[in-house]
Amino acid sequence: MKLENPVQSLFALLFGLLFLSPALYSIWLSFQTADAYYAGGLEFTVDNYGRAVGQYHFARYLLNSVIVSGIVTVGGISIATLAAYAFARFRFRGGDLLFGAVVATLMIPSHISLIPNYLTLAKVGLLDSYAGLILPAMASAFATFFLRQYIRGIPRSLDEAAYMDGATSLQVLWRVIVPLSRPAILSMALFIFIGEWNSYIWPLVAIGKDDLYTLQVGLARLYRINPGEGVIDWPLVMAASTISILPVLLGFALVERHLVRGITMGAVK
Amino acid sequence: MARKFLPYFYILPLLAFIAVFTYIPIATSINLSFREWDFMSATKPFVGLENYQLLLTSTEFWNSVKITAIFAIISVPLRLALALMAASFLTSEKFAPRMLRGAFFLPSVTSTVSIAVVFSWVFSTDYGVANALLKHIGVGKIPWMQDPQLALLVLILVNTWKQIGYDIVIYIAGLQAIPQELYDAAAVDGGRRFHVFRRVTMPLVMPTTYFLLVISVIEAFQVFTIVNVMTHGGPASATDMLVNMLYRVGFTLFDIGTGSALAVLLFILLIALSLIKSRVIGRKVHYEA
Repeated sequence: MKLENPVQSLFALLFGLLFLSPALYSIWLSFQTADAYYAGGLEFTVDNYGRAVGQYHFARYLLNSVIVSGIVTVGGISIATLAAYAFARFRFRGGDLLFGAVVATLMIPSHISLIPNYLTLAKVGLLDSYAGLILPAMASAFATFFLRQYIRGIPRSLDEAAYMDGATSLQVLWRVIVPLSRPAILSMALFIFIGEWNSYIWPLVAIGKDDLYTLQVGLARLYRINPGEGVIDWPLVMAASTISILPVLLGFALVERHLVRGITMGAVK
Repeated sequence: MARKFLPYFYILPLLAFIAVFTYIPIATSINLSFREWDFMSATKPFVGLENYQLLLTSTEFWNSVKITAIFAIISVPLRLALALMAASFLTSEKFAPRMLRGAFFLPSVTSTVSIAVVFSWVFSTDYGVANALLKHIGVGKIPWMQDPQLALLVLILVNTWKQIGYDIVIYIAGLQAIPQELYDAAAVDGGRRFHVFRRVTMPLVMPTTYFLLVISVIEAFQVFTIVNVMTHGGPASATDMLVNMLYRVGFTLFDIGTGSALAVLLFILLIALSLIKSRVIGRKVHYEA
């Protein structure tokens, strides 16, 4: 069975909807009033979004997430591209060893640095700040590794032609390597963005102030503090949840191919 | 001559971040694991192996190890079996399989907190969908999140739902790499579908299977978000997985020494698993069909 005829396609579509139904139903729920929902009825409203954004600060959390993920993505991809370029194109003493040290971090579980990073940032007074969220996330070993492999596939003759024209090595990077690596850079930027957008344990320990919460921490807290009296106000929580997944859902629709390619290339040699 | 130093400048930012936030912390964790500290006091007295001793003789630690192991033992085979099954239907590049692949993949890029919150609602006793559906077939309310075994099972299901799209994508890449001639040959020999699957597909995706096996075991040992949001390790420590215990000991009990010792043990375990991945698998598991 290859899922090619219309009946099978329809079946595939239904199966996909069924698989996603918890998420789809949660969005549906976010547009209902809590009173009707608990009484077993059905009544539509957008008020849950209004309350989530206003009263429960999700506009602020959204802004925080956008700022933090945005800076981590731009900074992280720049740092990774620069390093990948050096590792791919220059022979220098200790280069292989240092590249090994970068790749080895892929094996290191991030939780070992949880307590130490907390202490480091406390020492320099960066807990409860954007910088405290951003700095520990800036190095992406995976993106560096991936981009180095990609850059090595670009013919060196192109670099050399540019050098002949009097370009500096940074100009070669910017005018030759970056344009030719655009799909790989885009894949990795997405990879970094999604990882940072969804990250939870670090913002949870590094941030104690409400106005610096990211969406993920804010959502977990909204669910925990349980704004409904006695019962959880599920429609409100689902509105907040929808706000926190929407940007990724929209982005995903646009770039699914790039993302899948990036992930597959990382796994299957 | 500046040119000689250029590559060092290019890698400097990356190396600086990695040193400060990855390598030095390993040393710090090891150091702290031999000390007693609560974040506050001015001194951090050296206590030797006491933290490790305490940990390795506590029922709390072994409970966490047991639960994490159970989680891995159930969730990993479940994920791989379902993923391989789904992937074998989805290898073509036609519209429907691509849509379905997208649907499966979506949760793996969605925020784990959102997923945890949504499933907290699905499995909530009074207003959840799971119990509402069960009511139709005459089953009474099941206290999913209040029952120790069911709570762990729910976490396993949620984790599977989230991660399976990734497994499927990797399996599809593995399946697409199998030469069509092998299937043609099997068809000529009159192989039945199940037989072809067992004799051709299974052995040839073995490298992919081992890759996913190790990756998902490593992942199982790092599960935190769904535990933190859905159960907080409860009821009665029934879902207190290792990283949740680390978070609890470090950031709610402020027992930095024991927390660091736990982090070091987890680190050693996961590095060992990673080495198995790169060594044994690279050598042993190749096409043997």
